[in-house]
Amino acid sequence: MSKTIYELVDDLPTDNVTVKVLKSLDFVVPGEWQNLVGFDNTIRTVTGETDEEMIQQIGDRAVWLYNDKSQGYQRAMWLYQTVDRFDSALAAAALANKVSNKIPLMGFINRITPNANKAQSLDLAFKLVVEVVAFCQINGIPGDSIGDFVASLAEYSGESLMRMVALVCIDGLLPLGPDFILNVQSVLDNLSPKELTDNSAFNQISNMIPGGSPSGQLDFIGNSFDSVKGWMSGFVTDHNLTPEKIFDSLQNFVEFSNDKLDYVAAFLDMTTNYYEHTGTQTLARRLIERAIAEI
Amino acid sequence: MNLRFRKVLLACLLAVMLLVSSCAQQPPSRYEQAQQESTSKGASAVVRESESGGSFNKFFPTATDGYERVYTQEKKGFAEAKLKKDGKEMAMLSISDTLNNPSANSKFEQSNQKIGGYPAVNQGSTGTAVLVADRFQVKVLSRDPSFTEGDRQLWLEKFDLNGLSRLQ
Repeated sequence: MSKTIYELVDDLPTDNVTVKVLKSLDFVVPGEWQNLVGFDNTIRTVTGETDEEMIQQIGDRAVWLYNDKSQGYQRAMWLYQTVDRFDSALAAAALANKVSNKIPLMGFINRITPNANKAQSLDLAFKLVVEVVAFCQINGIPGDSIGDFVASLAEYSGESLMRMVALVCIDGLLPLGPDFILNVQSVLDNLSPKELTDNSAFNQISNMIPGGSPSGQLDFIGNSFDSVKGWMSGFVTDHNLTPEKIFDSLQNFVEFSNDKLDYVAAFLDMTTNYYEHTGTQTLARRLIERAIAEI
Repeated sequence: MNLRFRKVLLACLLAVMLLVSSCAQQPPSRYEQAQQESTSKGASAVVRESESGGSFNKFFPTATDGYERVYTQEKKGFAEAKLKKDGKEMAMLSISDTLNNPSANSKFEQSNQKIGGYPAVNQGSTGTAVLVADRFQVKVLSRDPSFTEGDRQLWLEKFDLNGLSRLQ
């Protein structure tokens, strides 16, 4: 049986590579993210209530809401978990691709692994789409409402904002460089619906992506990226972000044996699950906010 | 004898291990009961008859006096907005349909206070709520210490409570 919501929040790690990486990004949005773990602790922090009977009531209602499948919370959780699992597959493929570019004997891998940049670009695009869909599931806005999502981005704070910062830094700037937005755009522009359906990562989430058909879904992914790219490029400029800055800060938290940024990015993809980690925190917060209002 | 002794020792050892490992298991969570009940057949947290969250939006107060109102959630039987001032989160405003959680109504039975003509109660240390038409709970929750009980009452009065009472 899958984990309960209180187990998922109770089991969030207090210190691992994911937490270290997120802490290293604190310099981008100082003080914005605290690693809030534990279900009771989250209830206390989000609501400011300390009465045990009150906490029990809030927790009970949150459990009920989470377990009602019609409410979309479980779908959102599944999306956050799944998108983090397939990026490690992409990263492994990307790493193999990097190695094969160096060692002629391994040239055959080029034929079976996706191009590293393409894999990373798709990884970023899929994560972004998952954020749009999960946002709508959690907050109750119709599934394809990209406009509402974009308007809400300005309101993103705490762990939600940190997730977007990590997306820009760890899945954008580090592996793809300062032109990551152009890179992703060009990959999406040249992607056919067939390539999309052939993509094993996409196949895992395809039944949750609006659009009706592969070509409609490709449009949805393109539109999602299109409407968020302005926010992303503005964010990079406003915070003066560069791959080197991010790498320097990362080195204060995690030791790397190789300073090649694309290797580091692939390593981070394989060892971190920041979408699942912060996604669980976002979902718990919204659930608890609704629960205290309904009791 | 040795063999027998070993067998007995082994049995004792296994028994102790069993005891130790069962003791080491975590006690059941305080939410275990809710988990069991909410996953039993036919259980649901939201009933079909409840109003859509979108139908509540028009009864929310408009923001004035430097406040900003931002809608945050709109689920079946529930709508919520946050109230901000100077970029800071001050309070949460919500309307919920208690058809989804009838036990929420019971606290109003002891109410000796009215806001806008409807029974009102304080709940916990951060909330004040009114019950409209014995069905819709309108609640304001402080998110900043400077947002007082008086502020909560004031904002509850700003909701279109009479409009909401005619919704059903």
